[in-house]
Amino acid sequence: MTKQTLLHDKQVEFGAKMVDFAGWHMPVQFKSIIEEHKNVRENVGLFDVSHMGEVFVSGKDSLKFLNKIVPQDISKLYNSKAVYCQLTNENGGLVDDLIIYKLEDNKYFLIVNASRIDEDVNWFVRNSIGYDVYIDNQSHNYSLLAVQGPKADALLRKIGYNLNQDFFTIEKAVLNDIETMVSRTGYTGEDGYEILIKNKDAVKMWDLLLDAGKQFSIMPVGLGARDTLRLEAALHLYGNDLNETTTPVEAGLSWSVPKDKTEDYNGKETIMSQLKNGTDKKLIGLKMLSRAVPRHEYEIYYNGEKIGNVTSGGYAPTLNENIALGYIKNLQNLVVGSTIQIMIREKLYDAQIVKKPFVKKHNSNKEK
Amino acid sequence: MITTESILCSKTHEYVSKNEDDSYTIGLTDYAIEQLGDIVFLELPEVGANFNKGDVFATVESVKAASEIYMPISGTVTEVNENVVNSPEILNDNPYESGWLVKVDFTGDSVEMDDLMDYKDYTEEVK
Repeated sequence: MTKQTLLHDKQVEFGAKMVDFAGWHMPVQFKSIIEEHKNVRENVGLFDVSHMGEVFVSGKDSLKFLNKIVPQDISKLYNSKAVYCQLTNENGGLVDDLIIYKLEDNKYFLIVNASRIDEDVNWFVRNSIGYDVYIDNQSHNYSLLAVQGPKADALLRKIGYNLNQDFFTIEKAVLNDIETMVSRTGYTGEDGYEILIKNKDAVKMWDLLLDAGKQFSIMPVGLGARDTLRLEAALHLYGNDLNETTTPVEAGLSWSVPKDKTEDYNGKETIMSQLKNGTDKKLIGLKMLSRAVPRHEYEIYYNGEKIGNVTSGGYAPTLNENIALGYIKNLQNLVVGSTIQIMIREKLYDAQIVKKPFVKKHNSNKEK
Repeated sequence: MITTESILCSKTHEYVSKNEDDSYTIGLTDYAIEQLGDIVFLELPEVGANFNKGDVFATVESVKAASEIYMPISGTVTEVNENVVNSPEILNDNPYESGWLVKVDFTGDSVEMDDLMDYKDYTEEVK
């Protein structure tokens, strides 16, 4: 059965066009994907991302357990600090990508993809045998609102937020009598926050943000613009750009993998070897040299030979260009600036390999 | 002038409108455009191309996805709207007057018109 967030009816009332996504009935757009997209780049947008999963991990072996299931070094986190992680399998492939927050010693908070909640929780349980940890899937009890854009910070201050928070940290805050956890993270390439609230406060917080956001030209934003925003920022989408057969190194996520982590973790051997010796395939960014639109699963060619597939692609409103992410064979002569071709409706169209991200990010980050 | 009064619509959301010179103008209904959202790319056929009713003759890309456009009647393309190729967003503004796609000479049998609906019946159908 299709699930609904607590904000479903609010959004329908607001004119949302709804679609099914990862088992949820979610807004794909309100008035226009392009307008919503541009408003996030220029002002601020409000996203209901309550379909995302929230999992708490506690117990005296929490750190040891988390260090076994992700390549990142969780011991580096201080209280309130977050890190972008991958949940790796034995071959270095990805079960999911996620953010791990340290709340306090022996207490961590994980935000995982909506489409992967069940797989992830099973994976946690299977991997926790022999560890003294408690895995608490709270996804059904929490709602999550993302406030993204250059005016996000001003908007939060208007509703009573008064902390100076670094990128990729989480803080408890009471905003207009609502208890929240505020994380300075997002999936747009802009500055912004993600606000975690109990389900009972979802509608209240939504109304509060939309009302206070009027002076900042806030707009509710659907999944359509969420996708174009994250694509311009070259942020991966699990299921498209990442899956159980792609490793962090192939996916261009080597920057997130520490070389000096001493603990063993799932897939470490493969990942370490790939870091040293390279990979057979790699994720590239490309832009079309004509107006044709590259889409998920379209084939990529070079010199008449198929060398890979587009994994995410589409129109980039900020650039007014068509862009894509895709995996290609790791050929030495294919570098930024090289021309390749995309097969679109049985015709080959020229595209150029370009640097990622496609649009410069505006969050002071080294994280993602 | 093409208006919702002058058109016949197909179940696959194309419209045809008869011109004074007996040619037909073909485009996408406002309902189709509304469903597609922001249009960013159109691929239209060449002048002279022949199609049977039901053939894919064009492709429209919105931000969301690529969709095929079907011939509501059989015909030979006599004119292509280059303006919408260069500025696909015209379709979002007005799919009838300025946002038409092609003009064709009708080459089919008159029974082809039988399953096309007037705008009122069409809007009932897609409700």
